[in-house]
Amino acid sequence: MPYHEFDCSKVIPERKQHAVVKGEGEDLTSCLPKGYLNTIPGSISERGCAYCGAKHVIGTPMKDVIHISHGPVGCTYDTWQTKRYISDNNNFQLKYTFATDVKEKHIVFGAESLLKQNIHEAFDAFPEIKRMTIYQTCATALIGDDINAIADEVMAERPDVDIFVCNSPGFAGPSQSGGHHKINIAWLNQKVGTVEPEITSDYVINYVGEYNIQGDQEVMQDYFKRMGIQVLSTFTGNGSYDDLRAMHRAHLNVLECARSAEYICDELRARYGIPRLDIDGFGFKALGDSLRKIGLFFGIEDRAEAIIAAETARWKPELDWYAARLKGKRVCLWPGGSKLWHWANAIQEEMGVKVVSVYTKFGHQGDMEKGIARAGVGTLAIDDPNELEGQEALLRLKPDVIFTGKRPGEVAKKMRVPYLNAHAYHNGPYKGFEGWVRFARDIYNAVYSPMHQLSGVDISKDDYATDKGFVTRRMLSDASLPEADRASPLTGYTGKFDPIEALRAKTDADYPQFARKSSPQAAE
Amino acid sequence: MNCEVKVKDRIGTINPIFTCQPAGAQYASIGVKDCIGLVHGGQGCVMFVRLLISQHLKESFEIASSSLHEDGAVFGACGRVEEGVDVLLARYPHLKVIPIITTCSTEVIGDDVDGVITKLEEGLLAEKYPDREVHLLPIHTPSFVGSMVSGYDVAVRDFVKKFARKGPSNGKINFITGWVNPGDVTELKSLLKEMDIDATVLFEIESFDSPIMPDGGEVSHGNTTIEDLVSTGSATHTFALNRYEGGKAAQFLEKKFKIPSVIGPTPIGIRNTDAMLKKLSEATGKPIPESLVRKRGVALDAITDLAHMFLADKKVAIYGNPDLVIGLAEFCLDLEMKPQLLLLGDDNSSYADDPRIKALQEHVDYPMEIVTNADFWDLEDRIKNKGLELDLILGHSKGRFISIDYDIPMVRVGFPTYDRAGLYRYPVVGYGGATWLVEQMANALFTDMEHKKHKEWLLNVW
Repeated sequence: MPYHEFDCSKVIPERKQHAVVKGEGEDLTSCLPKGYLNTIPGSISERGCAYCGAKHVIGTPMKDVIHISHGPVGCTYDTWQTKRYISDNNNFQLKYTFATDVKEKHIVFGAESLLKQNIHEAFDAFPEIKRMTIYQTCATALIGDDINAIADEVMAERPDVDIFVCNSPGFAGPSQSGGHHKINIAWLNQKVGTVEPEITSDYVINYVGEYNIQGDQEVMQDYFKRMGIQVLSTFTGNGSYDDLRAMHRAHLNVLECARSAEYICDELRARYGIPRLDIDGFGFKALGDSLRKIGLFFGIEDRAEAIIAAETARWKPELDWYAARLKGKRVCLWPGGSKLWHWANAIQEEMGVKVVSVYTKFGHQGDMEKGIARAGVGTLAIDDPNELEGQEALLRLKPDVIFTGKRPGEVAKKMRVPYLNAHAYHNGPYKGFEGWVRFARDIYNAVYSPMHQLSGVDISKDDYATDKGFVTRRMLSDASLPEADRASPLTGYTGKFDPIEALRAKTDADYPQFARKSSPQAAE
Repeated sequence: MNCEVKVKDRIGTINPIFTCQPAGAQYASIGVKDCIGLVHGGQGCVMFVRLLISQHLKESFEIASSSLHEDGAVFGACGRVEEGVDVLLARYPHLKVIPIITTCSTEVIGDDVDGVITKLEEGLLAEKYPDREVHLLPIHTPSFVGSMVSGYDVAVRDFVKKFARKGPSNGKINFITGWVNPGDVTELKSLLKEMDIDATVLFEIESFDSPIMPDGGEVSHGNTTIEDLVSTGSATHTFALNRYEGGKAAQFLEKKFKIPSVIGPTPIGIRNTDAMLKKLSEATGKPIPESLVRKRGVALDAITDLAHMFLADKKVAIYGNPDLVIGLAEFCLDLEMKPQLLLLGDDNSSYADDPRIKALQEHVDYPMEIVTNADFWDLEDRIKNKGLELDLILGHSKGRFISIDYDIPMVRVGFPTYDRAGLYRYPVVGYGGATWLVEQMANALFTDMEHKKHKEWLLNVW
């Protein structure tokens, strides 16, 4: 019987089909949990809403935009300064958020004129910003404000501005995933094809489903530029509004988070014939294969190979240093959606850890399919987990470390399980070759924290030697290491606190110049 | 008049100072023991508020959602409250209190939460849980009214209203702290203890500064029990330290049970702490002991080193919860500082009638602005475009980028303060809080002097 029944959920039998333990020889048809179904009220699920899926996950990483939410102030406040999607324009979109501040009288009489005045006020306050996205919320969806009509009116009055409208109220779907879908399709329908870009390379991509958490996008963009590839747009991390209006001119959509952004790729393929290539920026092998695939598509494999060779030579020894010390460490991989399959196999293969559980807050069955396929026998897989199930699983599995969100991380802390932030990272970026070493470093630092060891000691009862004034991580991690590893001159991570600074300092002169095969006109 | 009270002159909000009502009700709910709030609305209304509170307290705690989806938004979602209550009771055996906290969506669709509670009491509770003590109460906190501050106020009143019973006098005072930190509760309890006053401290969150225990079994929870809430009807007095965060409950108890109420002043600074202690002394007949004279003296000793040398004439902007902002402004004036701008972040129209605001208007002898319904743009626009010069900002973490981008030192105070370590552990109220605040402000100014190489040598001989 593949399903796993939690003791705490016996009283809600419908939960039984949302968790499985992958058994010996079992295939996915017998052990796939249910997914993306309505949440059970009162279960204390970890899920967010469709508004946040649209605005907070996908919309707001767009950098040169006034992001305004049409509703009471809470939706805006609550989704502000809770993520780490940085940008190279001084983080405008992190710093500024806008709410129309709907009050009771607007609920009664309508809030369209309020919205219109808000739009003007926002553009007046930031005259250098000419682009805006408007997000509907529960309240304004229910009163039926026609946001699109107001946006059209303002665009007619202010010809230099452009406004995108996303109608994705919080209740639209079982989780934030509903909002991902809505904003993907809305962007495509409203904005793609409305700007013609300048093409500067024979190889032109959109980088899709990438949110520049702690600089991920900038790391990957650096590789693409080193390959002579033009990144026309990024959907949406560090992405520019007008660049994203020109997505239809790319030769290839390179898709990272398929959970949140496959919709726009599939539609770009259907409408504009642009192929979709799923890649993975996490892990040496997966990232190397991804760069190779892109190289292969364009016939520039040699450029990919050169990067892979250089980066591997620089960073692999440091990764291996950690892998030797993380071998067999038990991991609960409890992220939101796509990281369960981005990470499940790569951390086992390259860092030596053992994934004992995966969960997804808002993933669909397809995500579970990929995640379970990449996890080992015995892995506990949970869809739409809740507070008690998480605690029960931690007690049962006794992991050495957990990768999850900030608040569940606090639950883990009290249960003496070290936590890393799976959504926003601890000391990212985690993408890229260097980033993957940074991830390994963070895991190592969490697992071998001398303080973590101390927190398990009950000084009123336990015998423990008080002969040491300190313990280093190395004393803990190397105690049972084979002599060869202990004696190796290799070290852990030697990079900087902020690796993004150096990338931003690069100019065109720092990148190789490749001759164009054809004239720009012919490439069109 | 030097001090003007004005409403923000824009209609929209650029960088809000507050979140909405349900968040306040949720913060109040975690102060009650054996209680899990069920927020009736979209999942984000809970998920993000839990994140926000955990960012601030670095703790977890339980709040549930009715998980409103499309079908509920169209056809009504009372059924999801019924199911949610059942699921909570079935899975949390210790659970006794479930406040049903409404949001904008469920208020707009008009779900009859009060009716659902009656139905549940007569049906589910009577049939499935007949031997169990369970209390359900509605808390109406539509997001389009007030702010998280009024949400806290409403929730505190509704909890008290639900439970308070008149019995023989219990000889205790009700002590409603308002929206404070664990460190504030510790300080207040210590003052009460010194005064030898028996008090029911309400919505008591002191233990949210909780340990990691060797067995990994610690769970943070509020300390206010059902018995505490019931006994509020039998108290001798109600002290609500914050007018806007507990004042409604004090008024209710006075009206319903004739329990005299003392509302404010927020005990921030020496003078306001003095006032609180004097009022406590008057109400209970207990004298203010020598030990508090000493404690007060320790604070004054620390302050005297700093006030006229370093703090005098420093220009400060203050934002956040209204009682906090007003209390801090009053204390700053006592410290010879010059509050320039007070931002009160919601549209409560009674702020202008607050006697403390009126006193500021009457006595402040330099230009000061008080903006209601304010947002952070009211601060940033004045700095960026209108020549406002500041030496210091006092407020919570959401305003951090103003301090960073305009290079103005800032002391984090209020809720939330997630970008500085451990602030929930320290009080801003009482004599201890006065000392802490003054030293934080001074150290922020000192660090800034060094960072800007601005008379940094001054500190060589201090």
